[in-house]
Amino acid sequence: MMNCCYVKSGLRKAVFGLLLLLLPVGLFAQSQTSPTDGMRDNTPAVFAFTNATIITSPGNSIAGGTLVVRNGVIEAVGRNARIPADARVFDLSGKTIYPGFIDPHARIGMQDPETDLDRGNQPWNPQLRAHLRAEQVFNHENDGSEALRKAGFTVAAAVPELGIFRGQMAVLTLNDGSATDRTVRSSVAQSVSLNRSSELGFSYPTSNIGAIALIRQTLYDARWHHDAHAAFNRNPAGLQRPEYNAMLDALSTAARGERPLVFEAGSDEEVLRALRIAREFNSTLWVRGSGHEYRMADYLRTQNFSLILPLSFPDTPEIGTPEDAFNRNLAELRHWYLAPENPARLAQAGIRFSFTSDGLSNKADFLPNLRKAVEAGLDAETALRALTSQPAELLGISATHGTLERGKAAHFVVADGDIFHHNTRIMDVWIDGSRHIINREPHHNPAGSWELVSSGSLFDGTITLTETRAGRFSGKLMIGEEEISLSSISYDDNARRFRADFMHDDISTTGPVRLTASLSGDRLHGWAEVTGQARINWQATRTAYGEQPEPREHKPLRRDLELANVRPNMEFGRESMPEQPRAILVQNATIWTMGEQGVLENADLLVRDGKVAEVGRDLRAPRGAVVIDAQGRHVTPGLIDAHLHSGVDGVNEVGNAITAEVRMADVLNINNIWMYRQLAGGLTTAHVMHGSANPIGGQNVTLKMRWGALSHDLVLEGAPRTVKFALGENPKRVGTGRYPDTRMGVEQIIADRFQMAKDYRARWQAWESSRNPTGIPPRRDLRLEALADILDGNIDIHSHSYRQDEILMLMVLAEEVGFEVKAFHHALEAYKVAPELAERGIGAVVWSDWGGFKIEAYDNTNYNARLLYEAGVVTSLHSDNSQIATRMNWEAAKMVRTGLDPETALSLVTSRTAELLGIDHLVGSLEPGKDADFVIWSGDPLSTFTIAEQTWIDGRRFFDIEEDAAMREAVERERAELIRLILEVKND
Amino acid sequence: MRNLNFNRVMRAFVPVSALLLLSLLLSSPAVAQTPAAPQSQPVALTGGTIHTLAGETVENGTILFENGIITAIGTDVELPAGTLVEDITGKHVYPGLIDAWSQMGIFEISAVEMTLDINEVGPINPNVRVERAFHAASRHIGVARSAGVTTSVTTPGGGWGSPLIAGQSAAMMMDGWTWEEMTLQAGLGMMVSWPNPGNARNYARQLGELRDAFADARAYMTAVRAHEAGNAPRHDFDSRWHAMMPVLDGDMPVVVGANDMRQIQDAITWAQEEGVRLIILGGRDAHLVTEHLIAYEVPVLITTVQSSPSRWWEPYNAWYELPAQLHRAGVTFAIAGSNNAANVNRLPFEAGTAAAFGLPVEEALKSLTVYPAQIFGLDDRIGSLQPGLHADLLITTGNPIEYSTRVEQVYVQGRKSDMNDMHRQFFQRYSEKIRQRQAASGR
Repeated sequence: MMNCCYVKSGLRKAVFGLLLLLLPVGLFAQSQTSPTDGMRDNTPAVFAFTNATIITSPGNSIAGGTLVVRNGVIEAVGRNARIPADARVFDLSGKTIYPGFIDPHARIGMQDPETDLDRGNQPWNPQLRAHLRAEQVFNHENDGSEALRKAGFTVAAAVPELGIFRGQMAVLTLNDGSATDRTVRSSVAQSVSLNRSSELGFSYPTSNIGAIALIRQTLYDARWHHDAHAAFNRNPAGLQRPEYNAMLDALSTAARGERPLVFEAGSDEEVLRALRIAREFNSTLWVRGSGHEYRMADYLRTQNFSLILPLSFPDTPEIGTPEDAFNRNLAELRHWYLAPENPARLAQAGIRFSFTSDGLSNKADFLPNLRKAVEAGLDAETALRALTSQPAELLGISATHGTLERGKAAHFVVADGDIFHHNTRIMDVWIDGSRHIINREPHHNPAGSWELVSSGSLFDGTITLTETRAGRFSGKLMIGEEEISLSSISYDDNARRFRADFMHDDISTTGPVRLTASLSGDRLHGWAEVTGQARINWQATRTAYGEQPEPREHKPLRRDLELANVRPNMEFGRESMPEQPRAILVQNATIWTMGEQGVLENADLLVRDGKVAEVGRDLRAPRGAVVIDAQGRHVTPGLIDAHLHSGVDGVNEVGNAITAEVRMADVLNINNIWMYRQLAGGLTTAHVMHGSANPIGGQNVTLKMRWGALSHDLVLEGAPRTVKFALGENPKRVGTGRYPDTRMGVEQIIADRFQMAKDYRARWQAWESSRNPTGIPPRRDLRLEALADILDGNIDIHSHSYRQDEILMLMVLAEEVGFEVKAFHHALEAYKVAPELAERGIGAVVWSDWGGFKIEAYDNTNYNARLLYEAGVVTSLHSDNSQIATRMNWEAAKMVRTGLDPETALSLVTSRTAELLGIDHLVGSLEPGKDADFVIWSGDPLSTFTIAEQTWIDGRRFFDIEEDAAMREAVERERAELIRLILEVKND
Repeated sequence: MRNLNFNRVMRAFVPVSALLLLSLLLSSPAVAQTPAAPQSQPVALTGGTIHTLAGETVENGTILFENGIITAIGTDVELPAGTLVEDITGKHVYPGLIDAWSQMGIFEISAVEMTLDINEVGPINPNVRVERAFHAASRHIGVARSAGVTTSVTTPGGGWGSPLIAGQSAAMMMDGWTWEEMTLQAGLGMMVSWPNPGNARNYARQLGELRDAFADARAYMTAVRAHEAGNAPRHDFDSRWHAMMPVLDGDMPVVVGANDMRQIQDAITWAQEEGVRLIILGGRDAHLVTEHLIAYEVPVLITTVQSSPSRWWEPYNAWYELPAQLHRAGVTFAIAGSNNAANVNRLPFEAGTAAAFGLPVEEALKSLTVYPAQIFGLDDRIGSLQPGLHADLLITTGNPIEYSTRVEQVYVQGRKSDMNDMHRQFFQRYSEKIRQRQAASGR
């Protein structure tokens, strides 16, 4: 059968129309206000598409249906729809019509975005571009629409490219031409990124923590801007005119929850961050996901937001050599396998989503990846919904788009089969009645057999042509019994020209023969050159049609691996939270209570519902209690690290000397192997801190090592807020001209900001105490608010420091200004001012034995903690290092060598640490009512020969040395299976 | 002639901060510990438990040393006239510990570049000799010594910017006034930083550079030897290749920093081809290729046991267990620290962690004493307690790799070392301050 197009009827007319349509003309969407240049184009625009399978909406199809379009709008659709007399008819036998795909988060028209918005009433920060509207900054030269059309999209929401508040999305059709003709809906949603754009220069915010703080502040500012203008407009008398800021004005709709915020999430954690921000501001939230959402489908199903899913899947992990394979992490291997299951798993969890092409560097991967997702278990109807009706609803265009119904815009895709089948091609995409040809079916196909007659009968014979794949041919020429193979065979359907070469040897001609011919119907009218010898005419007549080329073999990925559904999705991840038994009795152990009971030998620990119930001798096991015989073992409270930086995306916000508004809790990341290793060393709680780049840095977070929980569930409820200060070399060496550059300046900027905070507090107090506040409310400033909270004693200060002068300076300044310092960290020279610390009741958090790494760390002594302890300073150890945090008991043990007694030494990583962090009412000792956070050790926890065997948090066993052994085997097995599968894929 | 790099020249003049530092160092009230006098009379330590690590442990024994050399160990030792007898009943005696990889004496403060003498310019520096730059008054010496370290294998190179051939290491005794009297053995090993195989092209290029250097050195040696034998005209001196001759003769081992499995295997093959003695430094993946190491009798200096694996999927204790794994496989190894001179006090605990994770305690001790001495060919002088060996020993309250143990006295070649290191000086001075303040406030 001849492989032919669908324009069999009215061939000549259609050919003419087709040539016309090659021009990228939007016939019906063209500008209605601009004057006509040159000749008016008024080609009829009434079409009837007949004999097609029409998918009118997901789940609804019409076999042998007709679709009628008039002037870009669907006039009729149905099995027996009347074909208007003025219609151009396309017979779509064998073809399927789908509603046009809608991309709700596309990168179109945003090439070469303007970075300097330096005119007019601009925001202070270049990352704030909320006032930009996609349709206004749209650049339609090579805007990326074509690549989307090829994937079946007819409409897309364009997202402004740069900044943190990036601007407002607009929905545009994917015809070519100006945004004026194409805009379907503007200001659909405000785009937000959780990361700064480096193109806009290096300034605040320089980090993820800073970016989130800026998002928060800006949303508050937008609300304030709205309220301030409202108040001023009500009665300006006596009021200072508020600034008019175009960005804040544009953002106020979204800031008040009346326009969606659409966040671009780069990771599963960023999805959670967006959810937290949206909750804080009661926003309507859309999230463009990262492809990792399957890791927390159980949580996302409980959340109220709209999800836009990319279909970008990771490259096959590089395992070219055995060493490469050896170096691949399980996290990477697992995600490679599981990423295509992301949509299916979310759908199974009942989460609705739309698909986007965003995230794919090559949009040609969109359809193959879509089909991979279907192969990986996504139901085709859900997939189609995610491409059509779901995004239409999301973007608020479902009255006109998303399904094929009378009255809707004529946006549809013509495919040569089921769109989810790997061999199906998109033939045409129609947008508002304009046709975009994606794959052209040739009118003629030379494949088959031809009887060739040449003048002079130089090479009369039979040509046989076979189509190897679409548009490629192999062939031979039989002259009598002689078989000659043809080379350089080509066929250009537009020109209807056929060409081929062969080598010919006989008495009359030798050498290359080059054929060229015009194909007309079933005839070839040819000319040939026998190089250097003859130029002749030839003709051929078709005697048979060729077969369709063999479809390319498609082997979907074997999906029979049983990978446990673990969190985090990496090595040693957990399938579920460990159980919390109603009662636990640990018997016959040496128990270091770190409370008034001291160290008890041959004692028992009773836990009920996650809390310590009792410590003593010969306790009775309650009915159903989990009983653990700990004969020969030691039990201590879970260890606490007072200063750690692992498990967060970003540590320092260096964009300003004072950044009390940034919060480490904003950037927790559970995909952190260190947490498991720290658990394995008996660590249960950590104070995760901001870095030391700022005299006043960000707010820290105290968390428990609940390996397997989501990030917000790590946070230790009931822990006080704390903030990081930093003195000495680090805050002054940030450079780039940032104040301060000396220890003198460090002191002054801290003092100055607290004065500002006092003024700020006074403004608010005046506002709130006035009975009936009128006028403009004070602007909420999260930075000054945090400083005011410090002044009010609501946030504890933990200050990085080295030298005695700076330690003393902050103590004295605190007294002058009126704030309190909870503890100095690192504090290598704290021993030099130990009495001064003790007299003021300020603590010290120090290393066991670090020093010599910079000049301010040169006077270190391993006796620091001992001197502080002896002077009466509440002292703790800290790691400031992910590895050291895995063995804090040994850090304490080093203090025994310097002369501290063992119980005091252990208190430096348990009870005293808890005291300094303000969490001693919860953890740090094994006393009734406190959290059942404990470690079972193989022996004396301060011995070099001792290892942790079990680590419990809240009465749940999070680490167990035997479970660890089983997990190692599971990790090895999963790695082996995944690597075997990758080798299969690579060898195919 | 290469032009001097402008930045390099400027760097020599710019560091005002370094000058400031120097003045700080000079004006600092604390000074490094005072070196001890050489042993002047026989000393006998009696009543203690003597862990010789060379055979039986002697309970309630006596160890006698004269002129810095051990002369007798036993329960029935005849003491020469004039012997100073110290009763150490209840205490333990161990050989002094050896830090087999250190920047002691060439490192003072990492962030102050002018206090660092670690990496010379250019990739090929076989001629530099670390003992000649050894800062005998470094604060870190006393701190290391009071932790029980009596010998430091000070080694050039390491870290980013390490030359391919970094220079010659030296065994330094941890007591003395000058580098000259502290040098136990110069030219101990030739330090080679094995290239990183992560980037295949760079790896191949740098290995080519390394092979070329050895080929050039061998050509130089041939020319020099031919002249000495009267078979060739005089060949002018080349400091770099001349320094390589002991390596090519097999008298000086090559210490190759190699952690990755490929690095270790490739270094073994390279050393075999070059016919040089090889010591692997680092050896993170050594447990994967134990048979290869054993087949060519290549010893390993394991560094920083107290660290975590770089591959997420490896067990949390992968590196803690490495020494035990090598022990079980029969690989010769010693344990070293991180080479940071300010942290040498942690060295005993690196071996302690190995013991916690399966290495027999005796082996853990030997990995800090006997084995490094054997690997570097110093076992005729240090590493264990035997007559004829240096009186490098510790008097302790117990096993020195246990945290609670205190090292009460250290002898370095018979010198009774000053135990009052910088840390203790600060401790004493500021204990006094606390006492004064508490007295003043009536507490």
